[in-house]
Amino acid sequence: MAQAVQKLVAKVPTLVGAAVSYSKPRLSTFWYYARVELVPPSPAEIPKAISGFQDLIKGFQSGRLGQTSVRDALRNGLVATEVLMWFYIGEIIGKRGIVGYDV
Amino acid sequence: MVPPVQVSPLIKTARWSALLFGLIYGKQRYDYLKPIAAEERRIEEEEKKLREERERIYKQLSEANSDTILK
Repeated sequence: MAQAVQKLVAKVPTLVGAAVSYSKPRLSTFWYYARVELVPPSPAEIPKAISGFQDLIKGFQSGRLGQTSVRDALRNGLVATEVLMWFYIGEIIGKRGIVGYDV
Repeated sequence: MVPPVQVSPLIKTARWSALLFGLIYGKQRYDYLKPIAAEERRIEEEEKKLREERERIYKQLSEANSDTILK
């Protein structure tokens, strides 16, 4: 038993090294995309976001949104769902538990 | 590699504000539910004590009354 534990402990540095060398390129690709796509909006972009939202409302009122193709509608629906899921991720962080409230 | 896509600012603000709202909502709901759960636990403790007391008394009485020669 003690020998098995010793062998495991001796293997840990190699395991850690292997994990690091496996994840480094993947992390770098993730970072490459995340630095452009997942960053929070800079203060200069917020007025653009507000005008984009107003465009959306105007499009809804004028009936232009009824003209979108099914393909575009599905794509936009997927994007909207993804945006909504961020709310639930924020809730998970706020309640400090993955499933349910730990009261 | 495919170059990264330029996400529209509307989507970016919507995502991060949804994250913020979720954080605030989760924290507030947790703070609301915590004292309620503590209260329920306290009430459960008290009722449990009362119930066990009554069961003890009942058991003692039933043992005292069950005098048979078959014991």
